[in-house]
Amino acid sequence: MNNRLKVLRAERNWSQADLADQLGVSRQTVNALETGRYDPSLPLAFRIAKVFGQPIESIFTED
Amino acid sequence: MTVSLETPRTSLLRKAALFVALAVLGGLAGYGISTLMGDVRTVWQDELAVLMAVMTISTGLISAFVVATRPSTVPRGCGVLQVIVMLLAGTLFLLPMFGTAVATPEVIFGAVVVLLVLQSVANLMLWRAADEMLRRVMSETSAMAFWALQLCLFVYAAAERLGLVDTVSGWGLMGIMMGVYFIASIIAAARRGLH
Repeated sequence: MNNRLKVLRAERNWSQADLADQLGVSRQTVNALETGRYDPSLPLAFRIAKVFGQPIESIFTED
Repeated sequence: MTVSLETPRTSLLRKAALFVALAVLGGLAGYGISTLMGDVRTVWQDELAVLMAVMTISTGLISAFVVATRPSTVPRGCGVLQVIVMLLAGTLFLLPMFGTAVATPEVIFGAVVVLLVLQSVANLMLWRAADEMLRRVMSETSAMAFWALQLCLFVYAAAERLGLVDTVSGWGLMGIMMGVYFIASIIAAARRGLH
């Protein structure tokens, strides 16, 4: 699964730690999400969508 | 607006310093083990157990360093628990071998049981405090280790039943199990980019 997390985060000038804090996960989890090493659960995907104020399908896309 | 997509990378100097620190730690651990084992007549099961103890305690100390210097790398509340779990695991491996130098086997066994309960509680608290990716890594580690161990155990048990190999003590099997678990945890963590 592909995602635009890195772009969305950079647009807001957030560090990985900033985003991790808002999502309630570790910075390593954010890093793994951005590098495609980990696909989030549905609840976490919803939290990500809420933090960025965008629908899930505009953040995550199929390979 | 210009945005940076670069992921923060560790500088070469910092990597070199970390490498030197790990080398010093490895040297000290080697010296410590050789001093500890110097006058003790051991079997391979004990040597393996000492190796596992050194690995878990070293990992615990490195985790403590990481938690102190980069707390955001682990989910909130998990760092200290990870350190406690690793240090207790190492202690649990050392106690049956070296504890009898200071107390009776019964007292040492009681201490082992108490520490095991404490470690289990810490493990449970770690699971509850972990974020979903850390839980996934823990689950995958357990699954990989179980798969590998049950396969190896069956092969060994069949060979032992046929009289083709010597019986391995429970202590030896414990050391092997910990070794397999370590390898499984390294693989599971590396797949998620954890180090």
